[in-house]
Amino acid sequence: MTRPAATAPVLTRSIATSPNRPTSRRKYQRYNALQTRPRCSHQPRLSAISRRRYHSHDHPAPAGPFTPAEAALLSAAYHHVPSHGFTPESLALGARDAGLLDISPSILRDGAFSLIRWHLHTQRASLAGKAEKLAAAEKDKPMTVAEKVEALTWERLKGNVEAGIVGRWQEALAIMAQPSYVPTSVKELAQLADEIVYLAGDVSVDPSWYTKRASLSAIYAAAELFQTTDQSPEFRETRAFLRRRLDEASQAGGAMRSIGEWIGFNAGAAVNVLRSKGVRI
Amino acid sequence: MAARTALRRALRPLRSAIIPSEQQLHLARPFSTTLPSRAANPSSSSSSSSTPEYAIPNPARPTHFGFETVTEGEKRERVAGVFTSVAESYDRMNDLMSFGWHRIWKDHFVASLNPGFSPLTSDTDPRGPQHILDIAGGTGDIAFRMLHTAHVLNANPSVRVTMSDINRAMLTVGKQRSAELPASQQAALSFVEANAEDLTRTRPLHPYPSPAEPTTHDAHTHKPEQAFFDPATATGSIPDASVDLYTVAFGIRNFSNIPAALREAHRVLKPGGVFACLEFSKADKHPLFNSLYKEWSFRAIPLIGQLVAADRDSYQYLVESIERFPSQTEFRDMIVDAGFVVAGEGYEDLTGGVAAIHKGMKPRA
Ligand SMILES: C[S@@+](CC[C@H](N)C(=O)[O-])C[C@H]1O[C@@H](n2cnc3c(N)ncnc32)[C@H](O)[C@@H]1O
Repeated sequence: MTRPAATAPVLTRSIATSPNRPTSRRKYQRYNALQTRPRCSHQPRLSAISRRRYHSHDHPAPAGPFTPAEAALLSAAYHHVPSHGFTPESLALGARDAGLLDISPSILRDGAFSLIRWHLHTQRASLAGKAEKLAAAEKDKPMTVAEKVEALTWERLKGNVEAGIVGRWQEALAIMAQPSYVPTSVKELAQLADEIVYLAGDVSVDPSWYTKRASLSAIYAAAELFQTTDQSPEFRETRAFLRRRLDEASQAGGAMRSIGEWIGFNAGAAVNVLRSKGVRI
Repeated sequence: MAARTALRRALRPLRSAIIPSEQQLHLARPFSTTLPSRAANPSSSSSSSSTPEYAIPNPARPTHFGFETVTEGEKRERVAGVFTSVAESYDRMNDLMSFGWHRIWKDHFVASLNPGFSPLTSDTDPRGPQHILDIAGGTGDIAFRMLHTAHVLNANPSVRVTMSDINRAMLTVGKQRSAELPASQQAALSFVEANAEDLTRTRPLHPYPSPAEPTTHDAHTHKPEQAFFDPATATGSIPDASVDLYTVAFGIRNFSNIPAALREAHRVLKPGGVFACLEFSKADKHPLFNSLYKEWSFRAIPLIGQLVAADRDSYQYLVESIERFPSQTEFRDMIVDAGFVVAGEGYEDLTGGVAAIHKGMKPRA
């Protein structure tokens, strides 16, 4: 790779000035499939916790955006997930497809979890396009906000089927339940709920907004878990499960039950992962 | 022994000007170890080459030795002196500088690279076995871990490791230590003398002190044997695009010309190959922790160096060189300027930033 001759002055600047230079920002321009759009201003910020015990506490993994190098590695690896799971194998096979080396994915800080982040991010990003299709179909028969929430959540669940990862999702949940990845995983889930509520056209800015979002997160997570064991044609039972839960959510306690189930599963998965790594618990 | 004493003696007058003081501790030092771009005259840009002038090693150009300014050539000799004099007390020194963390950092560094990992497919990598080049390999801490991970944990005995250093004394200690490795790992390991800034000129390790050449005890009658590699004696070279993984741990801050070393890393790596660096870094995101760490390193370490190794100057240099090294983001930008691409922020802080891992990938042309 040849570098432009203009490198020297850039370096001079990069050494002499503060870290927030426009040059470096241009270089670190991220691949971000989600456009920035106005949305509720009171989104809570989940603080990052340390990824491993001896690591810094102030370096959260960038949740959504990916550098071009990451995007190239991860998009190639994603094709291997249906057959090899969210694993280092998929990453290495993807690197080979991209004309790179087995060692190349080692630049990804979170290994297989980066691949999960890629899945979550690209699936979430594709919802906007699906919302447009729904809106077009809606012309003759307008939908309520609640109906749109259900339709979009179902679209997101179908995304798992289309990507061929339903059979791999329990493994992924086990990785996501590892303590260092929980904050990012929870944040992704919250962002998905945001996106669905936003695309469904709910513009209310009142205290119920938090409740709605929390309920939707919990219901989505429960439905996704249900999906991993669903053998019915076209995941009909998952769809019915989703409907029931959304109906229940209007009654007190419904959301809490979903949250409880989700936590229960993830705690179990986390224990199994730790055991498989030789931790005696 | 005599050589080390002589080197120390040679260093002392040069070093005695530096006494750590409050003042120096609080000086803002925004510049890196190497200030090539400032030293080089931008108007006298060299020919049509795409290589910036500062990235070409020049023994006469000013650089830093700790807090002093010396020429690149002088720095190379004096760094060699430091490492010759600490070669044997080296492990102890690392423990002191990092409170013992360096072993955990090194384990994490190697685990995060996962050398020798290969997908479970019937066909082997069409690009052939993995080649790892451990630059500034010193006494072998990184190279031995790489071999263990690749050969044992990943059951991939085809992985080869080349350990390289500018200092024969360090490399000789490394070779002696490697005698304890399993034979198959020894067979996959080679030792090369080279300056990281110019990997086109190398030679296989000539043990130090050389059994054939006059020993250092004859220093009165003979010129003392040099511990550092003299490029005039080169017999080989590391070819372009021949390396899968280039590692440098606790070495790069000692280089006279870091951009030149990064350019060489880029040259020798295959497309898709990975540059990985473990180095002391800046803990300044945590002010209290940072000031405690600085107190410790500037006051205690040279003193302990004096007591443990009777070598205050070398330890003093090590502390200052850490202080001089660019911040995480500055160094990341230098890696990108050398033609690498990064993932995420391009670095990972360890223990609050006392050390950091930087990684970059050479993209496909
Ligand atoms: C602190 S030791 C690190 C050794 C080993 N990598 C480790 O982590 O234990 C630094 C090494 O850098 C080497 N070194 C310094 N300048 C160099 C250069 N220009 N080229 C190659 N090696 C160099 C020194 O000789 C020394 O062995």
